[in-house]
Formats: sequence, structure tokens, C-alpha cells
Amino acid sequence: MSAITDGFDIRLRNAVTETGRTDGRPVVFVHGFGCSQEMWRDVAPAFEDSHRVIRFDQVGAGRSDLSAYDRGKYDSLHGYATDLLQILEELDLHDAIVVGHSVSAMVAVLAAGRDAARIGGLILIGPSPRYIDEPGYVGGFQREDIDSLLDSLDANYFGWSEAMAPVIMGIGNHIDLQADLTDSFCATDPDIARHFARVTFLSDNRRDLDRVKVPTLILQCREDPIAPLPVGRYVHAHIPGSRLVMLDATGHCPHLSAPDRVVRELRTFLQ
Amino acid sequence: MTDAAPDFEQLYEHAPCGYFSTTPDGRIQRVNATFLAWTGFTREELMGSRFPDLLDVGSRLFYETRYLPVLRLGGEAREIALTVRRADGGLLPVLVNSLLLPRDDPEEIRTAVFDATARQDYERELVAARRNAEASELRVRVLQDASSAFSRAETERDLAHALSTSARESLDASQAAVLLLDERGALRSVGGNDPFADFRSAHLRFPANDAVDSKRPVLLPDHAAIETAYPALMGAVRDARIEAICATPLLDQSGMALGAISCFFGRHRQFDPQNVELQAALARQAAEVLGRVRLEERLRRMALHDQLTGLANRQLLAERLGQALSSAERARTPLALIFLDVDGFKTVNDGLGHAVGDAVLREIADRLRTVVRGGDTIGRFGGDEFVVVCENADEFAARSIAERIAAAVRDPLPGVPARYAVTASIGIAVHQPSGADVTPEGLLITADAAMYLSKDAGKDRITAVGI
Repeated sequence: MSAITDGFDIRLRNAVTETGRTDGRPVVFVHGFGCSQEMWRDVAPAFEDSHRVIRFDQVGAGRSDLSAYDRGKYDSLHGYATDLLQILEELDLHDAIVVGHSVSAMVAVLAAGRDAARIGGLILIGPSPRYIDEPGYVGGFQREDIDSLLDSLDANYFGWSEAMAPVIMGIGNHIDLQADLTDSFCATDPDIARHFARVTFLSDNRRDLDRVKVPTLILQCREDPIAPLPVGRYVHAHIPGSRLVMLDATGHCPHLSAPDRVVRELRTFLQ
Repeated sequence: MTDAAPDFEQLYEHAPCGYFSTTPDGRIQRVNATFLAWTGFTREELMGSRFPDLLDVGSRLFYETRYLPVLRLGGEAREIALTVRRADGGLLPVLVNSLLLPRDDPEEIRTAVFDATARQDYERELVAARRNAEASELRVRVLQDASSAFSRAETERDLAHALSTSARESLDASQAAVLLLDERGALRSVGGNDPFADFRSAHLRFPANDAVDSKRPVLLPDHAAIETAYPALMGAVRDARIEAICATPLLDQSGMALGAISCFFGRHRQFDPQNVELQAALARQAAEVLGRVRLEERLRRMALHDQLTGLANRQLLAERLGQALSSAERARTPLALIFLDVDGFKTVNDGLGHAVGDAVLREIADRLRTVVRGGDTIGRFGGDEFVVVCENADEFAARSIAERIAAAVRDPLPGVPARYAVTASIGIAVHQPSGADVTPEGLLITADAAMYLSKDAGKDRITAVGI
């Protein structure tokens, strides 16, 4: 049974996937900018023996319903937080652990600050409440850097629709299935990706951190060029009672580069 | 065969594209001469350094958020556009293909690099041209969509709704509200979602008030700006998760302010002049349509209302009575129709003139408005005859309304000598759920006949008949 909220079937809108034990404590994995729920491929299955495992695609990514992309709604991270809260309600989850990566770590923070009734804890992987430097705050980026990212998106999505056309028209049948699957990894609509990039990298949610009242674990990579250590420390200092754990991993996606270590930290927190 | 190895070595080193291999975290293990030549680094400088560290910031972000996940999940990443910073600080746009070799231990990423300078210049121009075209197309589309939505509006409310939708969509606002000035000069929310709706009565100043008074847009890009100008609103602003506000006045052709559009944003904003102008253009269109809609509403009102008293005319009365009767039959509730004729009105009209007669009718109409119940419909049936449709009223309830009416009519009229005093002869037709089938005409005829019974029995009295 699925209810209709805001004119959409929530499970379809966000391509919600459920695995694991239906009677287990729910763990909800929320992917960040640039990819889809596939990001959790090497981490989520480790919890299926013991937990109810939920993954989903943010609207605009993966197999989500693109027609649900209301630019006004998703012009702030609160639009995504609303979706997360709706998913928790739709699946009737209680005491859920929300694992948010990157920008979705902040989405989880916003959701927990608004309504933590169904949330038992947060695990934030590489969170940053503000990417751009401000007086007295080091985010790691300048405004121009974000324009540079938008240029990079343009360069990569240039001709995206032209390239897709033959596939949609059926002319691309000779392309073997594996190649098709590869293409679909992290599928994203280019216009939405551009908007999501702006919203992700231009938002300022520093004021929202201290509204989190649930147990919170922050996973910080050694060398994360997107959310560097001072940012992790800032988040830690502003979420009351949070724990900051340094991961022996480089880059911004430890759940891909060092899934075993991420699984270990998640397990420790869950116990 | 023995010469093959140096050949391949040559081919690798001086291939027409750059090659390098890295560890999974991007540390360069091998690199060919072509890549060194293109980037200007020495082999010693690059060995052991991380490829992502060679990228410009935007590419670095793209590398972490998309290239690496795709490569990890799919085993390869194709035609990724990146920008490499060369040793001399110059930028080299490249296209890369990468393969992840997971079976090797340790894992290795092999990458081929193609110079994309020409492609990038060409694409940059195309992208810039496309963006320009899209921006002007967006403007035209917003205004066209708005104009067709506005033209379908029949009421102020329809128009306000269409305007709030267009305004919200054109600025990617999380909410938009349309506020119009009422007769007393106060701003009322008419369409959209107004996060301040609960506060409007509290005599606070809002950005929309200032947009109306100054006849200029009020732009508040972040909390600091809102707090400086509207400190009293900060509580509501935080509750509604508003980070920025833009209020644009609705000005008619003569420059008079009719109201304002307020857009609310969930993220702090820098408002660019094009967007501000687009809002102003929407506001101009809407103001023009508002004039048309208001005129039509007035004409519609005039067509259904009595000019002298402003009460419902016969046509509207018949419509309301028909609706009341069918809903009474559906809900099985009683329905009463009160018919009254002003006794002595002809004497006033003949003795004091039509102007005084008209004033008396208007005064009686006003008094009727104050003594009937909230949902009752009062109509002027003709001359000095009035009708009141009372839903969900049995004989007892209808009589008490009729008594209030009789008392109100009997009260002395200001400026009219006592010998011209008027009273009301009243007839009531009450339709009970258990009663016979009846038509609106049947009810009117019955109430009219009951009124004549009152008149014949000596005027200034009430007769009720069940039907």
C-alpha cells in the first residue's frame, strides 16, 4: 500500500528500495550530489542480516520521478529534507538511523532539526554546512570555485541530450548491455544537476546544526578536498554531543574507496 | 620479436595522447612523455603526486562527486571533461577515459588523456550562446504562459492565483503570495501561500507594504537584510524557513499601486536585475488584467443586484431560492421564505417625492441586512416588496426573524415626519422536509398569498403557512 502525498506516490517518486530484515532497526542511506543510491552498493548489504535497509534516489537522480522536480521546492535543502521526512512517515519507520553523505548529511541534519520523532540517530559522512569561506569560517571554497564547478558540469553534460537521443529512438541497439548499464551509473538530468550543484554549494546551513538533538556520528576522511577537516570539526563543535571519527581513507566518498572501514564505524555506532 | 618491447615502449611514451596509471586514490605510478610535454611537469614532479591535485577547482569537485563514483561503480569512466593546471599555471582542458583494474593487486586506474582545447573553446561558445537563448526564451515563455493564464481569470482570486504561480516559477521561489489593497487601503492576501497570513492583522510593516508605498521592488537577499529592515518579522521568517524575500509592487497604467507580489526563498539569494525586471513585467501584465477582471466583476454584480438597494434582484433570488430548495430537500432540513410589503410606502412616495421614497427603500434594505441571519439572502422583489430566503429555518425560527424585520421597519425613519410612518405586512412560507413537493415559484406564490392575508387582516403583522 502506498499513499499519495503532494500528488506523488512517495515510494515511486524517490525510487525507494527496501532490503534486509523487516523487523530490524531501520537504517536509511541518503546519497549526495553527483550520484544515486547506487553509491551505497558496497556498504548497505552489510546490514541486511541485522537491519531494515532503506535506500532511495533524491528527486532528479537515478530512477527518481523527474516530473516531481519543482525548482522552487528544491531551491533549498529543505525541499530534500521534506522528502526524507515523508519517506520516514510513508514507511512508518521508528528510531531510524539516517546515514547521509555529503550534502545529504545536511539534509539529514535539517530533517532531524525539524522533526526527530522517527529518527534515532544520524551518521554524517563528509558533512559541510557551508562550502564557501565566510569571515571567521573556513569552508574551503570561494564563490568563483562554484562557478568553476558549474563550468565543469557544462563541459561534461554538453551534448548530453543529443547523445541520448539515438538511444531513446532505438538506434543505439547495437550498444551492448554492459555499456548501457555503465552509462546509467549515477544517471542525472543535466539541468537538475546544475541546479542541485548551486543549491548544494551555495547553501548556508550553519545555523541549523545545533537543532540536532539525536545521537550523531561524524565520519571525516583524512584528505577530503570537499569537506576538509576544519569543516568536520566545526560540525562536531556545533552539534551537541556529537562524535567525530577520523576515517583512514582519502577523498570524499569513503563508502566507495574504503567501504569496510565505513561499515565498521557504522556497526560500532549502531551497537 | 626481440625488438617489439622497445617499440611498444616508444608507442607508450610518445603516443598521440597522454597516458598514466594511478593507485585508486589517484597517486601517479607511471606517466608517458606526451602527458609530461602537454603539462610541462617533469617525471620526478609527477611520480607519486595525486592526479586530482593537478585539476582546477571545478574539475576537482566534479572528479570527487561524479568521476570517481562512476569509475568505482561501473569500472570505467568515459569522456570526462576536466581541466588540468599545467606547471606554468596555464590551463589544459582534457577529455579522459579511465579504467579501474580491480583484479590486479593492488588496484590500479589507467587513464588516457586527450587534448580538448579546441573542443572546449567551441563548446564554451555554444554553451554561452545556448544559455543566452535559454534565458531570453525563459523570459518569453514565462510572460506568455502568464498572459494566457491571466486571460482565463474570471475573478480577482483566479488572477492572484495565476500570478503567484508565474511569479514563483520564474524565480524558483519556495512560496509566493499576491496581496491586493482593499477599500480601506489594507493589504489582503488573495492568492498563493502567504507565510505571514497570520500576522497581517497585527499592524506590522511587511516588505509588501513598502513595495506598495515606494512603488519599487523591495529586495532582501538574506537574514541580515530582513533583520535590519523588519526585525519584528524574524520569528515568523524563521518559523517559515525563509532566507530571502522579494516584494514587487503591482502598478496600474497611471502608476497607482494596486498591491504586491511577494516571493519567499528557502536559501539566501542574490537577485539579478533580469529577474527583478521579469517580476516587474509580470506585475505590469497582472495589473492590466486586474483592471479588466474588476470591471467584469462589477458588471456581473450589477446584472444580479438591484441598483437602488444593492440587494439581490429577481434573477439572483430565483437562483438562490432554487439552490436552497434542492439542498433543503437533499439534507432534509426546513426552508422558510419571508415575503414583505411595506405598508404606507405609496403615501411616502406620493407625498414626499421619489427621492425620499428611494431613500426609505435604501434605509429599509440596510435595516433588513442587520436583522437577518448570516447566511440568509435578501432580495428586492420589485417596488416596495422584499424577500428573504432562510435556509434551515422552521416556522418558529422564521417567525422570530420576521418579528425582527417588522420591528426594524416600524422604527421611525430619520427625516421622515411621523404621519408618513411605515410598517411591514409579512407572509412566510415554510417548507418542511416531510411536506409536499414544491417549486421555487410555488414557495413564492404561497409566501405572497400569506403576505396578503396579513395586509387584509390590518397590516403590520405576520402570517405563516406550511407547505
